[in-house]
Amino acid sequence: MPSSSPHTLQVCRECGGGAPIDVHFCPQCTKILSLSRHGDYFEFFGLPRKLNLDLSDLEQRFRTLSRQFHPDFFYNATPAERLASLERSSYLNDGYRTLHQPISRMEYLLKIEGLGPKSPKEASRQVPPALLEEVFALNEELDEVRGMRAGGAAAEAWKARLQRARQPIDVKRIEHEAQLQELATRWDGLDAAAPDTERASALAALRDCFLERNYITNLLAGIERELETA
Amino acid sequence: MSRVVGIDLGTTNSLVACVTDAGPVVIRDKSGDALVPSVVSAAADGTMYVGREAERRLLTDAQRTVYSVKRFMGKSREDVQAEARHFPFRITGAPGASAGGGVVRIGLGDRELTPPEISALVLRELKHRAEAYFAAEGDIDPEVDRAVITVPAYFNDAQRTATRDAGRIAGLEVLRIINEPTAASLAYGLDKRHTGLIAVYDLGGGTFDISILRVEDGVFQVLSTNGDTHLGGDDIDVLLMDRVLADLGGTPAPEQVQGVRKAVIQAKWDLSEREETDVTVVAPAVVAQDSRPAVGAQAFSPAVVAQGSRPAYTKRITRADFESLIQPIVDRTLGPCRQALADAGLEPSQIDEVVLVGGSTRIPLVRRAVANLFGRTPHSEVNPDEVVALGAAVQADILVTGNRDMLLLDVTPLSLGIETMGGVMSKIILRNSTIPATGSEMFTSGVDNQTAVDIHVLQGERELVSDNRSLARFKLGGIPPMPAGTPRVQVQFQIDANGILSVTARELRTDLEQTIDVKPSYGLTDQEVERMLLESFEHAEADFAARLLIEARNEAENVIHATEKTLRSEDFAEIEARELQPGERTRIESVLGGLKMVLNSTDRETIQKWTQALNDATQHLAEVAMNRSVKAALSGKNVNAL
Repeated sequence: MPSSSPHTLQVCRECGGGAPIDVHFCPQCTKILSLSRHGDYFEFFGLPRKLNLDLSDLEQRFRTLSRQFHPDFFYNATPAERLASLERSSYLNDGYRTLHQPISRMEYLLKIEGLGPKSPKEASRQVPPALLEEVFALNEELDEVRGMRAGGAAAEAWKARLQRARQPIDVKRIEHEAQLQELATRWDGLDAAAPDTERASALAALRDCFLERNYITNLLAGIERELETA
Repeated sequence: MSRVVGIDLGTTNSLVACVTDAGPVVIRDKSGDALVPSVVSAAADGTMYVGREAERRLLTDAQRTVYSVKRFMGKSREDVQAEARHFPFRITGAPGASAGGGVVRIGLGDRELTPPEISALVLRELKHRAEAYFAAEGDIDPEVDRAVITVPAYFNDAQRTATRDAGRIAGLEVLRIINEPTAASLAYGLDKRHTGLIAVYDLGGGTFDISILRVEDGVFQVLSTNGDTHLGGDDIDVLLMDRVLADLGGTPAPEQVQGVRKAVIQAKWDLSEREETDVTVVAPAVVAQDSRPAVGAQAFSPAVVAQGSRPAYTKRITRADFESLIQPIVDRTLGPCRQALADAGLEPSQIDEVVLVGGSTRIPLVRRAVANLFGRTPHSEVNPDEVVALGAAVQADILVTGNRDMLLLDVTPLSLGIETMGGVMSKIILRNSTIPATGSEMFTSGVDNQTAVDIHVLQGERELVSDNRSLARFKLGGIPPMPAGTPRVQVQFQIDANGILSVTARELRTDLEQTIDVKPSYGLTDQEVERMLLESFEHAEADFAARLLIEARNEAENVIHATEKTLRSEDFAEIEARELQPGERTRIESVLGGLKMVLNSTDRETIQKWTQALNDATQHLAEVAMNRSVKAALSGKNVNAL
């Protein structure tokens, strides 16, 4: 939680003065601050940690901040300021890219809340318990389809079978998108005063749903690849 | 205060522009010509020609003349093997990513140069043009030492780095490498402060780019870019040339091939204005010989060729023929356009304005294809040859003045990644990410006490390492000895505002900065660039000295020739007897002998001293001979008049 973190201050390397974590220029000497200590992307943009963002507001903030510290405007500055501008602009651009897409925004929020996947492969390897039944059925169907292809079945025949096999997964996908939206709205509705347990349970539900959704997306991508290699 | 400029370093032509009180302007030569052909030629005597004169020499000395060098930037010899047959010059270089980075080398006269060195010669010419302009404007310090140079948006890291190296070799501090379509949008944005979505379609001599931008509050934000760095007017020329050469048959000399190239380019231009034209090839009556003496040779005059030429081939071509021939090339631009739109999450109909850039967009078929795709008539108010240089000048001005009215936010055109197990590329920074951008990856050791890790950096969109572009191999050294899997080395990839990559690494447990030994796969090391910079200065001086020496010899030869002619003339005996002082002839003969003896030395001053001496010694004789010939002429006239 940012508010309870001891790191709510950053230090200006130019004048040695202190500055809040969410500002970009030193309040004392007005120089651009180096990116040695910073908050998260939400803080950097001056936004609350919410999942539903007003995209035009995010874009407006991005342009405003770009105008403040893009390297173009620090060409004549000291090497330290130029480096600060490069680092701050890179961080801004990386943050914009992450927050602009709903999926990467959610993944990022889970990560900074300490619920990110332990490894990048975690999401795709482990079958979420809630999906065991569908995945089992799909794998059986896939085996059948591969058998048909090996046996020289007509493309229309096995493709139709594959399309039928993916239907339950497609339904699951739509369910999950709706559920994710609901859980996101629930998270956004919690205020800072909400009990920690409530926050934790909202996040855990969000995380489980998110991992399932990623698993489904990968499954569908696999089917698409199968169709393309025909 | 020295000056800054914007440079469009093109495949076919290059331009230089600057910002004046009246806005950005392209700098022209005395005849009003804005274009410097990107052509370099080395005469047999060592003189280096750049621009129009070098372009003319393609018709007389093709094998010592290099063009379209931009196609070779950041490339290995293998990369260009397939198209080498289209070029009259030597293409060499060590194979593979061996020592010297596997960079392709091009024979220019007697030297083997890298593409950045040849591009540097063009840049130097542009620098001189700009300096002459500023000097004529009355600048106290007309030196041009800093520039923004443009590259195709779809250039990869190796090609961008090669362009920056070229600038450094030319003695320019490269303020920024910017993308051509984005530069063009900046030049368009000057006139009206509009808001909306813009597509810039840039089809030049050798490259194609499409960029989709959102313009708002003076921020030019690129949403996506795509393209083909090997698609342009050159490909159209090759299609036409192959036809004409097939008609002609036989094995033409390189100069004849260039004659055909010139003719088809003219026909291509004509067909943008007319419904039909003739491809007319003139056969050069005189072809420069490689066996010409290296020293003392007269500069070969293109006029001689023109006088002696006669039409050898002529063929009618209609616009319909031409369009069906080039349709596949035009079609190849549409895939990247659709991909760029998809990456930006847009439909063609959502684009508010379409801007055309590059000489090849003058072709009516290209304009129709673009109009069809986007469903609107594209803009072409600003000269498509000049708009990129103007935008580069605007960007240069922004950088040095800190003017914040406009800001360009560009993207990296290709995904950046590293090789992982099984020869698969793992992406770290995705294409169309706004730059500057960063990405990081964690590495560890595979065996106990391992102190180094090899990392292979790639650029491209494909799954397999072998299908992507190798950028560099790094040896990550200095890892503290620890059990296998314990070190946590974070490697940080930084793409700067030029779209150029740098890498740093840190072991997180010990917080030790790691050493990185960079070996670019297809580029030059910093040391090589520094050496080339020094060499280019030496050569620039040597070239200049060689030119002066040749001029001195030519003048000496003229005086020797005139003197000998007079001494050998029929009436010399009479002149000597009547008009010369005793011993005058002997003195002339002795000075003449002296000049002939020093003529082949490389000491210019000695040659000039003896030339002056002979001039002095023969001054009286020359006057006498002149008077006699005038008298003879007058008396002749009298005879005729009678």
